[in-house]
Amino acid sequence: MIPAPGSPGEGWSRLSPRKLLLDPVKAIGQAIVPVVIALVGISQSDTRFWPFIFPVVVVAPLVFGALPWLTTHYRLTDSQIQVRSGVLNKTTSTAPLDRVRSVDLEASLLHRVLGLQKVQVGTGVDDDRITLDALALADAQALRTTLLRRREAEQPAAAPVLPAEDGAPAPAVVPTPPPSPTLLARIDWSWLRFAPFSLARLVLLAGAVGVVAQFGDDLPIWNEETATSAWAWITQFAIALVALVLAVGGLALWLVVSVAGYVVQWWGFRLVREHGSLHLTSGLFTTRSITVEEAKVRGVELVDPLLMRLVGGAELSTLATGVEDGVTQVLPPCPRAVAIGVGESVLDQPGPLTEPLVEHGPRAHRRAWFRQLGNAVDVTVVAGVAWWLLDFSGLWVLGVALAALLLAAVAGEASYRHLGHALHERHLVAGSGTLARVRTVLETDGIIGWVVSQSWWQRRIGLADLTATTAAGAERVLVRDVRVDVAVALADRATPGLLTDFLEPA
Amino acid sequence: MSHVGGTPVLREPAYQVSPQAIGFWTVSALIGDVLLVLGAVLAWLVVPGAPGWVGLLVLLLALVAVAHVVLMPRIRFRVHRWEVTDTAVHTREGWIGRQTRIAPISRVQTVDSRQGALQRLFGLASITVTTASAAGPITVDCLDAETARHVVARLTAITATTEDDAT
Repeated sequence: MIPAPGSPGEGWSRLSPRKLLLDPVKAIGQAIVPVVIALVGISQSDTRFWPFIFPVVVVAPLVFGALPWLTTHYRLTDSQIQVRSGVLNKTTSTAPLDRVRSVDLEASLLHRVLGLQKVQVGTGVDDDRITLDALALADAQALRTTLLRRREAEQPAAAPVLPAEDGAPAPAVVPTPPPSPTLLARIDWSWLRFAPFSLARLVLLAGAVGVVAQFGDDLPIWNEETATSAWAWITQFAIALVALVLAVGGLALWLVVSVAGYVVQWWGFRLVREHGSLHLTSGLFTTRSITVEEAKVRGVELVDPLLMRLVGGAELSTLATGVEDGVTQVLPPCPRAVAIGVGESVLDQPGPLTEPLVEHGPRAHRRAWFRQLGNAVDVTVVAGVAWWLLDFSGLWVLGVALAALLLAAVAGEASYRHLGHALHERHLVAGSGTLARVRTVLETDGIIGWVVSQSWWQRRIGLADLTATTAAGAERVLVRDVRVDVAVALADRATPGLLTDFLEPA
Repeated sequence: MSHVGGTPVLREPAYQVSPQAIGFWTVSALIGDVLLVLGAVLAWLVVPGAPGWVGLLVLLLALVAVAHVVLMPRIRFRVHRWEVTDTAVHTREGWIGRQTRIAPISRVQTVDSRQGALQRLFGLASITVTTASAAGPITVDCLDAETARHVVARLTAITATTEDDAT
């Protein structure tokens, strides 16, 4: 990378010149649909405009693609990382180096073909990230190492970290050798067995089916005549057989999609600890590299989704402050023991993820049931109104009501079983979840306030929802339906001193 | 709050909000409820052939609205309380439910005060104290405007001395 002539000030670098290949391709990709429509429209009416249209169509993406490269510069000073960009509206983003909390690398398939990486630098402000799209692979990694190592070391007399003339951001600036990274977890392909039990991808599949169904109208086999004869042919067979085939087909499709999705997302997964950060890399086509600074990790969340529990699987996320989305999934669906092991390693403490929780007692049990029964009543009322308006068989309403009741009973019992709390030395632990079992562990140092909230129902029976507010993760940890006195005692023990002024003996 | 066992219980915050708040809440509730009831009555009159019990429903709605306008401000005035010590902000609010909020002043990030047009008529102002958590803003509704100014000044002075990034 050669600093552009006329680039202001010292040490400004451009993005990788290979970006000149990347952006036009992307621009063409984005513009292709309107352009094709325009071309088709014009070619049908008149061909005289072709000499004018063609350059516009070809040159415009090239120019617009090249603009970001021409106008974007970045540099590292001894205290800041600065990025200037924009054509008409010049924007300059700066971030103090000691505020850099995460450096994430990402590469789409196109990026990887060109040997490029997109760099995202996260700072203290939640949604504001500095993005450098794209740098050459070596530059990106050197930049990441420099930024993270700098933050970790915090040496006061660090030399100015200027990118050298040849573009590599001065690899020899920091004299301390990098501490060897510790491997916390890596992909184990026996974990593939959990893929079909993870329903998150089912949404994607449903979307895909929707798209196919839209095009279904255009498929040659799908005109009305063939449909009718096909239906006549189908009805010759037992409906049950058709249903069976559909079910087996759907299941097979689901197996393929879920396993393929798992492989694509988690290929080459590694979770390492280095420079005081957790560093995750994975991805078959698009490689992601996510960095979470451990000092900003305030806790973890262990989730056993409904189906995955049947096969002993779990997922683990970290709750961190100062990153775009505070909840970062750091493990693929994997055996529960692995998730707990990594979780304890992240927390630096065994216990919070495995210790039994304090139960909330029979009144909370009743509350859990009534909460779900309330939902069942809502569903039944909706069904009843629909029945009244649309005038179909009352049996349906009865069926819906029964199903809703049954589901409510199951959900109510399950949600009580998942309910609980504990205080484990430095960690507040909350159990929650209706069908999935969720255990949230939050450092008590990360608690920045309390909310004790009681609905009218809860006031009748002396229960409350205790919320610990925090800057990490989802920004709240909820301990639901806990006795008021237990809630106050828990809050008092978790944050000693905070409540003292407001307490009086019973 | 119900007290069970011998563990310490949370006492209520020291101060009530301004008595003017009752008037303010009454007027705001009145505006909303009158619009709602008028809408319902109009719909009942305009739609032809509505059965008699719909009229009963409208009447019921009107009664509930009256009860809301009369009772809500008084209950709310009894419930809403606030207190700012040197270390923490403590509030209680609600009228059907109850919410008690406590945040350490060392974690306070911003202190805002707000005065709507209607609030100005009653000489009231609200204070909102935010922390780094989206779940944690604490609002003291309907303070006497003069008190609100004092509290904001005091909170700002205290938070200016803490240097943490409050996360």
